[in-house]
Amino acid sequence: MARIELDNITKAWGDVVAVEPTDLTIDDGEFVAILGPSGCGKSTTLFMLAGIYAPTGGEMKFDGHVVNEVEAKDRNVGIVFQSYALYPHMTVRENILFPLKFKDIPAGRAPEMVEETARLVQVEEFLERRPSQLSGGQQQRVALARALVKSPQLLLLDEPLSNLDATLRLSMRTEIRALQRRTGVTTILVTHDQIEATTMADRIICMSRGRVEQIGAPEDLYRRPNSLFVASFIGAPPINTLSGNATGNAVSLGDSVLALLGEARGVVTVGLRPEHLQFADQGLPGRIDGIEPMGREILYLVKTPLGDLRVLEAGSVPRRSAEQEVRLHFAPEDTLVFDGASEDRLPDVHAALAEETKKRA
Amino acid sequence: MAVVSALSQTDWDDLAQRARRRRLLSQSALIAFLVATTLPVLLPYFWMVAISFSAKSGGVASSLLWQAVSVLIPAVIAIALVRTFAATRRTKTWGSLVIVAVAFGLIAVLVGPRLHLENYRFLWVRDIVAELPSRQGTAGVGTQFPSVWSAFGNSLLLALSQTVIVSTVSTFAGYYLSRFSFPGRASFLQSLLVLHAFPAMTLIIPIFLIMFWTGLIDTVFGVLLVIVTLELPFSIFIMKGFFDGVPWDIEMSAMTDGASRRQAFFKVVLPQVRVGLIAIAVFSFIKGWEEYVFVRTLLIEKSNWMMSLYLFWVADDIMGVDYGIVAAVGVFYVMPSLFLYLFFQKYLTQLNIGGVKG
Ligand SMILES: Nc1ncnc2c1ncn2[C@@H]1O[C@H](COP(=O)(O)OP(=O)(O)OP(=O)(O)O)[C@@H](O)[C@H]1O
Ligand SMILES: [Mg+2]
Repeated sequence: MARIELDNITKAWGDVVAVEPTDLTIDDGEFVAILGPSGCGKSTTLFMLAGIYAPTGGEMKFDGHVVNEVEAKDRNVGIVFQSYALYPHMTVRENILFPLKFKDIPAGRAPEMVEETARLVQVEEFLERRPSQLSGGQQQRVALARALVKSPQLLLLDEPLSNLDATLRLSMRTEIRALQRRTGVTTILVTHDQIEATTMADRIICMSRGRVEQIGAPEDLYRRPNSLFVASFIGAPPINTLSGNATGNAVSLGDSVLALLGEARGVVTVGLRPEHLQFADQGLPGRIDGIEPMGREILYLVKTPLGDLRVLEAGSVPRRSAEQEVRLHFAPEDTLVFDGASEDRLPDVHAALAEETKKRA
Repeated sequence: MAVVSALSQTDWDDLAQRARRRRLLSQSALIAFLVATTLPVLLPYFWMVAISFSAKSGGVASSLLWQAVSVLIPAVIAIALVRTFAATRRTKTWGSLVIVAVAFGLIAVLVGPRLHLENYRFLWVRDIVAELPSRQGTAGVGTQFPSVWSAFGNSLLLALSQTVIVSTVSTFAGYYLSRFSFPGRASFLQSLLVLHAFPAMTLIIPIFLIMFWTGLIDTVFGVLLVIVTLELPFSIFIMKGFFDGVPWDIEMSAMTDGASRRQAFFKVVLPQVRVGLIAIAVFSFIKGWEEYVFVRTLLIEKSNWMMSLYLFWVADDIMGVDYGIVAAVGVFYVMPSLFLYLFFQKYLTQLNIGGVKG
C-alpha cells in the first residue's frame, strides 16, 4: 500500500502536451477516480504511474520516494487495461500466475495464491480456459485477479467497465469497490463515466485537456464545481446553462431577466440543474416541449423566456402533457454562476427569479 | 393482389427440382475444373516417382507409366467427388484414405512386380558415374563424382543456417521496426520493399566479383551470406507485419507484471507471432534447399556441391542413358521439402499476411 504524490508531473510528445503540470496526492488505501472526456490525458497519467511512460517533467513519489526512474517491473503496480490485455496463449491459471513468476514466492505457494485470488474474483471455474473462451465480464475479472495476485501497492484501472453491459457494469462496480475495501489497496480508477466515478470513488479528479480541473469528494464536485466544465461534466442529465450579460445585480437572459444575489458584471453563465427545477403554482412561465421518461424520473423539455430548460421530476408516469403551460421554481442557493470569460465559478453569486418575471403571465 | 395470385400458382416442386439440377451441374463443373488443374501438377511428380522405381538402364518402360496413370486419374476424380459430396468431415477423410489405399493396391498389383530399388543405388555407391558401365571415364565433370551424402550435407548445412539466420534476424529486426521509432524508419521500411522488388539475378556479376575479391568464392559460407542477404528484406517486412498485429498493451501488461522487456518479448510477444515465425522458417529452409543460381555461380569445387548441383550434373552426365537414376535423385531431393510442408501445413494454412502497414 502506498501514498502517491505527483509533483508538477508533465507529459508531452513533441508539441502535443498530453498532461500539463499536475500536483496530486493520493492517500494510502484511498480509492480515487480520474474523470474526464476522451483524450484528456487520463490514460497517460495512469501509464506514467505504472512506469510505462516516462514523465517529461516533475516528480512522482511512492511513499515519499521518487520513482521517476524506477522501471515498470519494479514498481509493484497492478494494472487492468481497458482491453484487459490478457495473454491469449495462456490459460486463465497461467495468466494469473504470470506476475508471480517474477517474485520470490516460497516454493509451492504460488499455485495456492492463484487459487485464492481466483476465488476472490469468482473465476475459479474457468482456470483451465483460454481468455478467448470467456465472456467480457469474466475476462475483466481475470484481469483484475492478475493485477491483484501479487498484492500490488497501487492498483490502476483503465476504464475497466466500459466493455460491459449495463447490468454487469452495475454489479462489477459494487464488486470492485468491495474488493478494494477488503484488500485496502490504493486504487486509481480511470473513467469517462461520471456515475462510475461518483458511485465508486472517495475522491474524484476531474481532468480536461491535460489539466486537473478540480479534485474533491463527489458531492463537492456536484455542489461546488470550480468551473463550468466540471459543472457540465458532473450530473446527469446535464446542467442547464444560460449565457447573458450581467449588470451589477441583474442578468439579462434571452428576452427576460434574472436577479443576482451578489455582484457580477460582463458576460456570465448561469447554471441550473434539471433536478433543482420544480413545477410550481408561481414562478417562471413556460410551455412543455418534450417529455422523456427515464425510468424513475421524467425529463421535461420546457420552453421559457430564459431559454430552453431541462426539468427533472420524480415519478414513472408523466403527469404533464406536451404543450401544457407550466410555472417553474428554483432555490437561489442551488444556482451556479460562472464568469463568462474564464468559466470559473463566482462563489458568492447566485441567481433568483426577478419579481416581474414571476408575475408575467 | 397480382403478386399473391402469382405466388399461389407457383409449382414449388418444379422449382426445387430445377435448383437441384443447377446445383448438380455447377458441382460437376467444379470437379471437372479441379481434376483438370490438379492432374498437370500431379502427373510429373507421379511419373518421377514411378520412373525412379521402375526404369532400367537404357530406357523407360512407357507401358508401365500408362498403367500407373490409368489408376491415378480415376483416383484423383474419385477424391474430388468425395471431397465435394461427402457430408461430414469424417466421411471426407475416410473416403479419401480408402481411395488412396485402393489406388496403391491396384498399382501394386498392376506394376508391383516390375518395381525395384536399383536406381537408388546412388545412396550407397560412392561414385555413381564412374560405376556406370556405359560411361566409364567419360564423365563431364572429370573422373570423380562426389557422394550424394556430401551434397546432401552441404545443402542441409546451407538451408539450416539460412533458416536460423533469417528467422533470428527478421524476428528481432521486425520487432524493432514495429515497436520503436528512430530517424529514417520510414525510408528503411521503403527500402526493404524496394530491395525485395529488385531482381537478384541482375546482381550476379557484381556479387561474383565481391566474393572473388573477398576470397569467399567457392565457400558454402559465401553462398550463405549472399542468399541470406537477399532473403532478409522481405522476411523482415513480413515479421514486422506480424508484430504490428500484437497488441501493444499485452506487452506493457507483462512489464508491469514484473517482466523485463526481454522477458516480455520472449514470454508474451513471441508466442503471438509463432505462425509467422514458422512460415518464415519453412520458406527460408526451402529457399536454401532449392537454391541453384548462386550455388552454380559461386561454387566450383566438387566437395562443395549442393543437392541442386548434384542433380544437375547427374542429369548432365547420365541423361539419355539412365532416366531412372535422374528420377531417383529428384525424388530424394524433393523429400525434405515435402516432409517439411506436410509437417507444418497446419501452421502455413493459418498464415495471413495482415497488418502490413508503415
Ligand atoms: N504516443 C502518443 N503520441 C502522441 N500523442 C499521444 C500519444 N498518446 C496519447 N497522445 C495524446 O495525448 C492525449 C491524451 O491521451 P490519453 O490516452 O491519455 O487520453 P485518455 O484521457 O485516456 O482518453 P480516452 O478516454 O479516449 O482513453 C491525447 O490527445 C492523445 O492524442
Ligand atoms: Mg484512455
